[in-house]
Amino acid sequence: MIEVVVQFFRDYPLLWTFVKAVVLASFTLLIPLAVIWVERKVAGFIQSRLGPLHVGPQGTFQTVADALKLLLKEDIVPSGADKRFFYIAPYIAFISTVLSFMVLPFAPGWVALEMNVAVLFVIGVSLFNVVSILMAGWSSNNKYSLLGGLRAVAQLLSYEIPMVLSVLAVVFYTGSLSLTGIVEYQVKHGWLIWQPPIMIAALIYFICALAEINRTPFDLPEAESELVSGFNTEYSGMRFAFFFASEFANNFFITAFAAALFFGGWDGPILPPIVWTFLKVFVMIFVFMWVRWTPPRLRIDQILRFAWQFLVPVSLVNLLFAIVLGVR
Amino acid sequence: MSMPVSPEKQSTLSTVDILSQGMVINVGPQHPSTHGVLRLILTLDGEQILHCEPVIGYLHRGLEKMMERRPYRHNVPFTDRLDYLAALSNNLGICQCIERLGGVEVPERAQYIRVLLMELQRIASHLVFLGTFGTDLGATTMFLYAFRERELVLDLLEECTGARLTYNWIRVGGVPDDLPEGFGEKVLGFVKTFRQRLEEYDQLLTRNRIFRSRTQGIGILPKELALAYGTSGPVIRASGMAYDVRKAAPYEVYDRVEFDVPVHEQGDVWARYLVRMEEMRQSIRIIEQVLRDIPDGPVQTKLPKVFKPPAGIAYSRIESPRGELSFMMVSDGSPNPLRVHIRAPSFVNLSVLPSLLEGTKVADLVAILGSIDVVLGEIDR
Amino acid sequence: MRTRQPATEQYNPLAVFIEGLSTLFYGMLVTWRNFWRPKVTVRYPYQRKPMPPRYRGLFYLKWNEEKQRLNCVGCTLCAQACPTDVISMVKLGKGTNAGVSEFTMDLGRCLFCNLCVEACPFDAIYMGPAYELASERRDAALFRIADLAQGGEEAVRTNIETVQRLMAEEEKARPAAGGHAG
Ligand code: SF4
Ligand code: SF4
Repeated sequence: MIEVVVQFFRDYPLLWTFVKAVVLASFTLLIPLAVIWVERKVAGFIQSRLGPLHVGPQGTFQTVADALKLLLKEDIVPSGADKRFFYIAPYIAFISTVLSFMVLPFAPGWVALEMNVAVLFVIGVSLFNVVSILMAGWSSNNKYSLLGGLRAVAQLLSYEIPMVLSVLAVVFYTGSLSLTGIVEYQVKHGWLIWQPPIMIAALIYFICALAEINRTPFDLPEAESELVSGFNTEYSGMRFAFFFASEFANNFFITAFAAALFFGGWDGPILPPIVWTFLKVFVMIFVFMWVRWTPPRLRIDQILRFAWQFLVPVSLVNLLFAIVLGVR
Repeated sequence: MSMPVSPEKQSTLSTVDILSQGMVINVGPQHPSTHGVLRLILTLDGEQILHCEPVIGYLHRGLEKMMERRPYRHNVPFTDRLDYLAALSNNLGICQCIERLGGVEVPERAQYIRVLLMELQRIASHLVFLGTFGTDLGATTMFLYAFRERELVLDLLEECTGARLTYNWIRVGGVPDDLPEGFGEKVLGFVKTFRQRLEEYDQLLTRNRIFRSRTQGIGILPKELALAYGTSGPVIRASGMAYDVRKAAPYEVYDRVEFDVPVHEQGDVWARYLVRMEEMRQSIRIIEQVLRDIPDGPVQTKLPKVFKPPAGIAYSRIESPRGELSFMMVSDGSPNPLRVHIRAPSFVNLSVLPSLLEGTKVADLVAILGSIDVVLGEIDR
Repeated sequence: MRTRQPATEQYNPLAVFIEGLSTLFYGMLVTWRNFWRPKVTVRYPYQRKPMPPRYRGLFYLKWNEEKQRLNCVGCTLCAQACPTDVISMVKLGKGTNAGVSEFTMDLGRCLFCNLCVEACPFDAIYMGPAYELASERRDAALFRIADLAQGGEEAVRTNIETVQRLMAEEEKARPAAGGHAG
């Protein structure tokens, strides 16, 4: 039966691509529902609350209900907004996330697009996110959005650099730009996180990841207390849902990416590979949330100073070490 | 930005060079961190604040005028609505003023109960400060922890007074009723938990490097400026002035309990935060002493049905959680006051805000405003 | 006078970073501990906290089982003590055995300040533990005697009957005492 289906899609590669695209896009839309539920529960438990409870067992469907509510809401466009940019910004954010999911290996062979420069591709498309935030901030015709957007761009660009440098350390270590290649290397040689230069790279990656997905201490772009909601202040309804979904899908992606780079991706005993991927991702997501709900946030100049004065030099030196140690 | 503009077009443009103009941004009256309906008109240069203009009055209810139209004792519940985070302090303020006006004695037990309630109220109020200050800086969890503990205080106060926010539990001549059965043990139980929780707050927030870099050296209020504006309470104590009405002009039994007035020299947001944290510890000390020393006896002096103080003028001041709260009442011998004036500490403390804000970053606005800890109900009256 | 930035005393990024990271972990211990602590949420519509006996909620007029009437004698002291004119009433009869036939409270204006309760010399009015007073209708804030009296409609009827009977008894007794009219 399965052979028949596989054979059918072999015969029509375009259809197969289409199916993969649909599956990926819906995965990107659905995974935030899970991540947001986990986030709410974790936040609740950390804060001595219970979190959502009523819709479904333990409130599992609360986010589904919220998503439906957002889809049904009136779509408000502020007068004076730059309509074109205002309309497409959330979708650009979302598409950039879908694109990065495209090259993510969930398990051996479970990858939508096997690409030998997957790492570069991910770095490239993740920059679209910055563009979308700038577009949203600028086009909203709202000063809070503008400030939030500008902050976000400054922050995301600054943290992109040490992040890329720390990813490059992995690339030099394994000699592969393909995510599948990197994971396979780890299956053979053990997880990279145990290698000293990669350990530092992983730490830097995590810090930058916090900044990339706007988590406290780096949640400035949407610093609620100062900027109302930052770049997405004026968004409502479906567009807001897309921003929100892409943010949490990004959260998932960035941890899955880390799992592939540092923690051996699908590698693990007994359980099937796909379970290992998700296990690692959700453990990391939990750690991210745990961090998120602990400290206050930094100020924009402190954030930038930290990136340029500390993270960039350290990751450069670390990259050097990785190159030296990685050559074999 | 310097694109060539044709002369005709130039004449239609505004003559003001737009590069030298700041961006005006309106914070409030509905904004998550203005703690009420405060409106700030900020002129920004990028993230830098050039100028700040507070606009108040969105919550004005004309309380002072209302009070002139009512008999003295009817006015006590209205003061609940001044500083709604420390309603008992306001109750005490106005009751003291009326007592002075009418020469009313307060039984000793009532005085102890008043001090006990005052300090519980101070803890509750400072916990709101701690929580909101935490969220302002992004530590949302702190908010819920502080409110969790405040809930314990409110439960205690509810058990004693029957209300959670607008207590109205101080009367002219005492307090309306004695403490409920077993109240002292419950308070001591709370004090025990709260001590540990204070350690947790320190671990979570005070020691945190990010928190310190967000607060240290920010919004420095020099002592001279603090004095010139007439600030009081934690704001002036954080600027190096050991001024506390509880020590400077002791009322009730504050001269019989031992406590320290925490003072810090730096005058920045961090110092104001530390002063409040330390004050909660001192409040615990006072509470323990009060529960140890409280005598038995009546809690209220009987007053005539129609209370007519002799003509004259009275002034009372107390240390509310936000600073020096004072009431002034003028009596012409009739049952209603001739004039009531309220000196609200938040109002005075807020007046330093524009000079603190000039030149700071937008992100520091919330830290500075939060550290002054204003309550708009009191400012607008 | 206004120093803004901390005069960065030898900003050492590494030291700051290590301190930041360690204090972050230190703080995360607190959140971790609280993660496992019992939660404080009260699932309100399903769970309710018991109200303390002094709780100041909805008013009630006390029913006197022995005398088969409400304690209130319609002396209006509570109405006089009220700062916001919440209370109005219709007195029934006169003298020590008088009562009320109407007792209306416009709780939309009420401060729940307890002054009326303290003013009442006959232990007639109290504040009870009911607190869900919110409504979508404005006139829902108007509480009439049947809403306030312990025992409701029934109690009000009995109250009026009792008071009228007492009045009639007094009336009968009066001529014997000297026939003073008025
Ligand atoms: S509680 Fe206060 S406002 Fe309400 S009816 Fe009684 S006296 Fe009036
Ligand atoms: S409730 Fe009390 S004070 Fe009010 S009218 Fe009745 S008896 Fe008088």
